[in-house]
Amino acid sequence: MDATFSQLAMLGSSLMLIFGLILLWRRRVPAYINAFTGQSVALAGVAGATGYFGTESELYWVAAFVLLLKGLVIPSLLRRMGRRFGSERELDPYVNTATSLLLAGLLVLFGYAVMRPLVVTSRLPTRASMALAMGLILVSLFVIVTRKKALTQVVGFLMLENGIALLAILGTYGIPLIVELGVFLDALLGFLVMQIFVYRIHETFETIDVEQLSRLRH
Amino acid sequence: MAPELLLLSVAGYTAGALAALAFRGMVGRALVAAGALGGSLATLALGAWCLATGATLVFAAPWLPLTGFALRADSLSAFFLIVVGLAAAAASLYGFGYSAHYDGRYSLRLLGAMFNVLLLSLTVQVLADNALTFLVTWEVMSLSAYFLVLTEHDQAGTVRAANWYLGVTHAGFAALIAAFLVLAAGDMTGSFAAMRSVGLTPGTRNLVFLLALVGFGTKAGVIPLHVWLPMAHPVAPSHVSAVLSGVVIKMGVYGLMRVTLDLLGGGPAWWGGIVLGLGAVSALLGVLYALMEHDLKRLLAYHSVENMGIILLGVGAGLMFQSYGLPALATLGFIAGLYHTLNHACFKGLLFLGAGSVQYATKTRNMEDLGGLIKRMPRTAACFLVGAAAISALPPLNGFASEWLVFQTLMGGALVPRPEVAIGMPIAVAMLALSSGLAVACFVKAFGITFLALPRSTDAARAREVPASMQVGMLLLVGMCVALGVTPFLVVPALSRALAGLGRIPVTPIGFSLHLPFSVAGVTGEMSPLLLAVGLALLGVLTAIVLRLLADRRLRVGDTWGCGRIGQTPRMEYTATAFAEPLRRVFAELYRPTEDLSIDFHPKSKYFVRSIAYRSEVQPWFERLLYTPVLSALRGAAARVRQVQAGSLHLYLAYLTIALLVLLVVARWSR
Repeated sequence: MDATFSQLAMLGSSLMLIFGLILLWRRRVPAYINAFTGQSVALAGVAGATGYFGTESELYWVAAFVLLLKGLVIPSLLRRMGRRFGSERELDPYVNTATSLLLAGLLVLFGYAVMRPLVVTSRLPTRASMALAMGLILVSLFVIVTRKKALTQVVGFLMLENGIALLAILGTYGIPLIVELGVFLDALLGFLVMQIFVYRIHETFETIDVEQLSRLRH
Repeated sequence: MAPELLLLSVAGYTAGALAALAFRGMVGRALVAAGALGGSLATLALGAWCLATGATLVFAAPWLPLTGFALRADSLSAFFLIVVGLAAAAASLYGFGYSAHYDGRYSLRLLGAMFNVLLLSLTVQVLADNALTFLVTWEVMSLSAYFLVLTEHDQAGTVRAANWYLGVTHAGFAALIAAFLVLAAGDMTGSFAAMRSVGLTPGTRNLVFLLALVGFGTKAGVIPLHVWLPMAHPVAPSHVSAVLSGVVIKMGVYGLMRVTLDLLGGGPAWWGGIVLGLGAVSALLGVLYALMEHDLKRLLAYHSVENMGIILLGVGAGLMFQSYGLPALATLGFIAGLYHTLNHACFKGLLFLGAGSVQYATKTRNMEDLGGLIKRMPRTAACFLVGAAAISALPPLNGFASEWLVFQTLMGGALVPRPEVAIGMPIAVAMLALSSGLAVACFVKAFGITFLALPRSTDAARAREVPASMQVGMLLLVGMCVALGVTPFLVVPALSRALAGLGRIPVTPIGFSLHLPFSVAGVTGEMSPLLLAVGLALLGVLTAIVLRLLADRRLRVGDTWGCGRIGQTPRMEYTATAFAEPLRRVFAELYRPTEDLSIDFHPKSKYFVRSIAYRSEVQPWFERLLYTPVLSALRGAAARVRQVQAGSLHLYLAYLTIALLVLLVVARWSR
């Protein structure tokens, strides 16, 4: 029983990390959005599995919310933005693709190293996957820092959120539903604000290249 | 009853602040004043009740711990509640009339709301029972005072003054945070009860004391940390100045006593020595700079520095005698300090209100443009005169009683068989004596130039008496000045109760008849201001009777003798500058005045002068000596920090990520 759960959790987490890595080597916006959608579905799957094996009925609700919000609502909003700004591709990131992938690998390794004491002492069947969640968080941060287009950064932020949610689910079998709801609301609002900013940046600079923002400095 | 009083007081201030936001004009002003007045009266009642019953109250509402706040009223809090309540009540009454002339020119909303927030924070401040409450209310107090100082934001110098105030007060705040962190010694609740019992090493205790001295010294306006005070107090609205000078800077004294006496329980003799020395220097330099001022409110602000010095003389002497094992003298010192705190709140509040009335009526604070106001504003003049006599320590008014006590305490230094005390104390006594004398000279100047003789400008000539609400505010404090002056036999026992409640020094119950005596071994002195007052009154009556019996009472109208000149104009009058000139010569090395005289002659003949322009400025050279290096170091540091802020979003994001990685590394591999 625990072995199955452990493997399922590992599978879901690995999928999520791979979806996260897609941001590093694809250049086209629709690919990013698809990756995010896939990642959210995988997150919902992990939440559902944890609910089933950990007998936490609240997690089913969480899984449903994830599917609805991150699998449907946000991707559709993202697609709308993608139709508008999709022509702007991530052509010259600060770090090129090969180096990015190498660094992402190092970050995942770092995640493993950081989570080591927890993995050793924990008795949870999900313990092995937690390092992957940490890796996802670090990789998402890396995306936000090195990519120039606002849209890429928004997707990076959403993936960071997913990583944190994954870590919470794996590490504690889900935080209380009310807190989880608050986090969802937070993520949604954060996303909406960012969306507005992306539009405003485009309005002001005729591009969504965040690098242009440094021109605001006088 | 006490929790209800506290609630009432908080409710009053809150209602006042909300009313300021909701209502405009006359109604708004009235509601603001009513809220502040109600709140401050409740504060006053709370303080009086606690002091009278001697009870230590812990306010325990079930929701209170959730906020992290802890409130407790002991006898020292109670005393300062009274100080807050008294000055605040007078200022709020006065503010109703005074803020009328702001209507339409400046934001009455901000003024009314911030005034109430300031009073609220002051009330909560003295009740704070943990570091969080203390620091949060401290900051709220500082910030609300900052906004109040900024009220007349378009006047020259206001913004600069407010910025100085903000800078200095935050430097002090940083020191306070450090002091409390060290004092808490790892106890994260930061409760004062834990701090009282924690055993720190002497080195740590000294560190806490020095940090607290810097932190509270900035608020108290102790020289050399006083620079903000003469800038910020004059530019604030006058009823706010009264609260700032009367109460806010007293929080420095409160904090110093709370930390050194209550939380640390006293310390080595040099603590008291430092406080004493700072007090003596502040007292003397404060009054010396006040003498050179022609701006009425700036003059008063410098006098606040002087009076804080006198208060610290008392407190410092108390700390010192305590460490030498002389509890009776220590008690006397603390009582003298507290007494002067209360008195200064009354008479300096009164003087600022009086100066505000002058400004209200004449639109200027420059004494060289005033004069002759006693005929036009007789009630304001009478109130100001009482305040001036009180601050000059003339019996039977309150300033006399407390300054006399400070003198008595300092004379007690003869009982300490140590050479440094034997040399230092007489010097402190001499400095205090000199500053008292100079204070009299200064207020002869302030009152004489402002209110007597002929008006020096048309604005002064057209002045009219101020509205009734402002007069009532002043009269309240006049009453307090007289009452506190003639009843030391009631005040001093109350103060010794306030001190005894701390339980840190054995307060010997002092038997009081009508006197102010202290039968400390070797030091005796008796003085009865009440008898003096009665004597003075009798003398006045006697003089009146004698005059009535003997004098020729026919009214004769004639010219003032003018040395043979035919016309008398205000330009022939003594000016404030001229009055202070002899002292400026005597203390030339201190003032280092720069003089600038330019005479414009008629082109045809040098015997006809078109105009003379004379300007003289006093250079506060030691401020420059002290602050220039600090400011340039700050600027350099700021320029260096600015390089970190490159304006690139990615760089900032990278900072965040690197910080996260470093934290993770530290958390993982630190053990």
